[in-house]
Amino acid sequence: MDGYNFAYLDEQTKRMIRRALLKAVAIPGYQVPFGGREMPMPYGWGTGGVQLTASILGADDILKVIDQGADDTTNAVSIRHFFQRVAGVETTTATTAADVIQTRHRIPETPLRSGQILVFQVPIPEPLRFIEPSEQETRLMHALEEYGVMHVKLYEDIARYGHIATTYAYPVKVDGRYVMDPSPIPKFDNPKLDGNPALMLFGAGREKRLYAIPPYTRVESLDFEDHPFEIQSWEHTCALCGSDHSYLDEVITDDKGGRMFVCSDTDYCQTRRGEVA
Amino acid sequence: MENRAVTKEKGVVQESGVVKESGVVKEREMMNEAWPGLADPAHDSQRLFRQILGAMSEPGTLATLALPAPPQVTPSDALGAALWGVMLTLCDLETRVWIAADLDSPALREALTFHTGARITDDPANADFALLTHASFDPQTPFALGSDTYPDRGTTLLVAVERLANAEPWILSGPGIETTRALDIGDAAGCHLLMDRLAANRASFPQGLDVIFGCGAQLAAVPRSTRVTRADAKEVN
Repeated sequence: MDGYNFAYLDEQTKRMIRRALLKAVAIPGYQVPFGGREMPMPYGWGTGGVQLTASILGADDILKVIDQGADDTTNAVSIRHFFQRVAGVETTTATTAADVIQTRHRIPETPLRSGQILVFQVPIPEPLRFIEPSEQETRLMHALEEYGVMHVKLYEDIARYGHIATTYAYPVKVDGRYVMDPSPIPKFDNPKLDGNPALMLFGAGREKRLYAIPPYTRVESLDFEDHPFEIQSWEHTCALCGSDHSYLDEVITDDKGGRMFVCSDTDYCQTRRGEVA
Repeated sequence: MENRAVTKEKGVVQESGVVKESGVVKEREMMNEAWPGLADPAHDSQRLFRQILGAMSEPGTLATLALPAPPQVTPSDALGAALWGVMLTLCDLETRVWIAADLDSPALREALTFHTGARITDDPANADFALLTHASFDPQTPFALGSDTYPDRGTTLLVAVERLANAEPWILSGPGIETTRALDIGDAAGCHLLMDRLAANRASFPQGLDVIFGCGAQLAAVPRSTRVTRADAKEVN
């Protein structure tokens, strides 16, 4: 595309983000401030993820973009088209074929492999923000490893509901040090963060923070001995592919109470149906 | 203020060359011949960065960077193609670079300023990147380690070492490493001092030093998150 640098961002910006990414990888789970740029899309549409993807993407890379697991939703389609136009890269919907996967709020069901990079779009990177509104204060809490308040929040869930009611953006501890917001992925996906062979990068455009989990890093979901971390489960199986171990979306099919459960990961579901057929 | 300083430095480079326009072009050609830049800056720097990112996210893995080697200008020839590639990929007018005496030369300074616009600093505590060799590594050099609140504000060391191989005596583990990975950077006293310093990173985490090793076109990295032990440490204890 004429008039733009490869992958939209100018080289100076890419270098700044690249330097920040290296520090993020060196300090797993720590939120590195970066000079976030205005992107040609509104905040909340993945400007952080797009800036990271633009900084790492090469002409030979194959890109996959998902939104809540689906390749065919508005956000995924528009970001995929964006990089097709400004970087001319090949895109795919197949998890196994992709080198770089930008994701909004899901980790693909198909296990990732070494060498792949997963880029998360993050709305609010600070896991302590809803407990402590001051940035100065949360920064100090991270420095002092003062995370007791996060356990208090989870405990309040137990006191009120009898179980930990946090179902997405469930806080994790990375390599035994930093408490991190895994972005609003369902807690169903939290176990996939632990020891994953792929590099995971997180970008928050409005808050101008990026952070990382290197491959094979220990990632624990916060819990209590008597209330261990649990993931969601369903009584149903996927109405399309019959999967009984993937994350299911409830789809309302009429106004008479009709509904069905289907895989949120469209590529996974389609692949399975191909295999079943 | 900082911008003015850069302009002034660039001015110095041009003044030392020829003032006429054709002369400047000629100087650029000579510089490219002597100290190679990136032929295709957008794509070459992306390719090199992905290799550096891979090395940093999987500590101890070896990468071979494909770019022309810098010229044989003593003593700066010890730098090697890999570390020169890291400089070209990551440095610009926003970064400050500290150069150890045993690598420093007017040619290197001029080439670095010419290709990247990076500012050269004499204060290691103020440097984003430090260029050194295992021989000039001194544990007492006050490189920036970051603070507990901003651990990212630390110096990244770029160290030219004797050799790079996935062999003992050093054993790495931690993030980016499935079980353990062996790394050998050489036998010299400086190599031991350096790895001992990196082993001490864990005690001060999240403050610490991140290091990128270079040997010719080969590169490996050991960030501060890595646990470093000696293969024979158990026998000693």
